[in-house]
Amino acid sequence: MSWQGELNRFLASAYKNWIISRRNIFTVFELFFWPMVSLLSIGLLTRFLAVEGSMVSFLLVGAIALTILQVAQIDVAYVLLFDMWSKSIKNTFIAPIRSYHLVFGALLFGILRGCVVFLILVAVSGHLFGFNFLAGGIFPVLAFLAGIFAMAASIGITVCISILTFGQKADVAAWSLSGLILLVSGIYYPVDVLPPLLQALAWAIPLTYFLEYYRSIFIPGPHHLAWGCALASFYLILGLILLDRAIERARRTGILLRLSE
Amino acid sequence: MVARMKGKSVQASGICKRYKSFFGRSSTILDNISLDIDAGDIFGLLGPNGSGKTTLISIFSTLIYPEAGSLSILGMDARRNRNAIRKCINISTAKPNFPWSLTVKENLRHYGMLYGLHGSALSRTVRDQIDAFELGEFQDHRFEDLSTGLKQRLSLAKAMLNHPSLIFLDEPTTGLDPDISIKTRQLIRRIHEEEGISVVLSTHYMPEAEMLCDKIAFLRQGRIVALDTPHNLKRHLALGERIAVSYQGEADLAALEEQPGILGLKAEKGRVEIIVDRGEESLDGIIKLFAKAKITDIAIKEPDLEDVFIELAR
Ligand SMILES: Nc1ncnc2c1ncn2[C@@H]1O[C@H](COP(=O)(O)OP(=O)(O)OP(=O)(O)O)[C@@H](O)[C@H]1O
Ligand SMILES: [Mg+2]
Repeated sequence: MSWQGELNRFLASAYKNWIISRRNIFTVFELFFWPMVSLLSIGLLTRFLAVEGSMVSFLLVGAIALTILQVAQIDVAYVLLFDMWSKSIKNTFIAPIRSYHLVFGALLFGILRGCVVFLILVAVSGHLFGFNFLAGGIFPVLAFLAGIFAMAASIGITVCISILTFGQKADVAAWSLSGLILLVSGIYYPVDVLPPLLQALAWAIPLTYFLEYYRSIFIPGPHHLAWGCALASFYLILGLILLDRAIERARRTGILLRLSE
Repeated sequence: MVARMKGKSVQASGICKRYKSFFGRSSTILDNISLDIDAGDIFGLLGPNGSGKTTLISIFSTLIYPEAGSLSILGMDARRNRNAIRKCINISTAKPNFPWSLTVKENLRHYGMLYGLHGSALSRTVRDQIDAFELGEFQDHRFEDLSTGLKQRLSLAKAMLNHPSLIFLDEPTTGLDPDISIKTRQLIRRIHEEEGISVVLSTHYMPEAEMLCDKIAFLRQGRIVALDTPHNLKRHLALGERIAVSYQGEADLAALEEQPGILGLKAEKGRVEIIVDRGEESLDGIIKLFAKAKITDIAIKEPDLEDVFIELAR
């Protein structure tokens, strides 16, 4: 198979997600409304509490990270959710594709949407709250975003695995994962304030490290970016292996057929 | 094309499929299915609801895996060469479903991409299938707005995207009106003849199986209860032709039963239905026995697969 053919197997999922989102009015909510709500509510909160400059950046970085994470992860999850909702999952899995084609294709579109949201939020937070996201140069921004997207892929994969393992409605359990991440990975407060057990959990989540790294540009302090990258890669690879196994299992148990009934 | 005609498209032996319920009880869906399908044939799977046709098609197409048995598709081992097999087969599922908001053309593009088509080959293939299945007028209609017949046609077009050597069609004409059904059957015939593609199809509609299939397997409760050509199936089940005679007066029914070639007899007042081996050959002898009576009507009915179905499903 030529490289263009191989590339198109990835792009197929991006193409599908792109058209479905283009025709879906709720895309506007996903891309503009909810990100704005979360940014403005945090930004205004900092004004009300008369928070000092460095804390404003701490909170805004957290709000933006969480928003982008949610936008990108849902795109990865959509690759199977759309198939499940339209009962067309058989047609996808009869094709000679691997789990990584689906995941990375959908992630590609997730990254695109994530970047659009990021640019909007950067512009708005600069304009309204005088916070310059690019103060540390372009590399930290890219590293930060890459970390968030890797994290988003892992969460999206988890959603896909639970659908294939537990069937429809299982996605609800997986969504709670991003709630857990919100709680422990230091989005709105430093990890130090957590009880020890949750702190240990926090340091098992790559996002914690990426937040720590990016904030160190505005509030100088130590960071462990390398650890974050290692962990993120580990989860991504583990996720892909488990997704492959979940697909094989769904073929053995016949869940794959029941998902398209 | 000629090379495709040789060999077997499907070789299955001892295929078993069980499903475990949530509480651990397992039910057997397919029980020791063994069958060979010649390459180039149209092969029919018949059987009552729940007999396992869809499950068997799903196993043959490597969509799901059996618990036991060996399976080879187009000469390739289904356990070791799944991806290679998936490249040369395709399926049109019962109740075809595709992403709703994609148009006909977009759906074909999307699945074409999944099969690794790209550039002008992708555009050409999509266009060719749209033409072949007469979808041009509807190419920009969303899937959710299509009629059942068009959905079925899109599904067949999708099944041809990767130029497969073997396609599986699960109930390709269910839910279609008679006119569209005939058209769909012609399309299947054409795919088979022009492209030399082997076809495995399931159906509830007996004339369809009789019209299209070179061979038929009849499934009941997960087992194959008969496997033969439509012609032989009718013969072996002794479903002879029926001669219905209406008459007035006296007829020697006892002598009728003694006649050679008579398989059965159903008599009512003034009417008798005789099941015979070969209609024309017995006719003369039968009529002689009605010498004292006046025949008012006589009709010969050939057996059809409907009769086979009813007989086997019992
Ligand atoms: N995923 C599944 N889990 C448990 N049982 C299943 C599953 N899929 C199918 N079955 C059962 O397997 C049996 C065979 O189903 P299958 O769909 O293969 O039959 P069929 O011959 O295609 O029927 P129909 O003519 O109604 O399409 C049925 O009793 C069905 O309830
Ligand atoms: Mg079926």
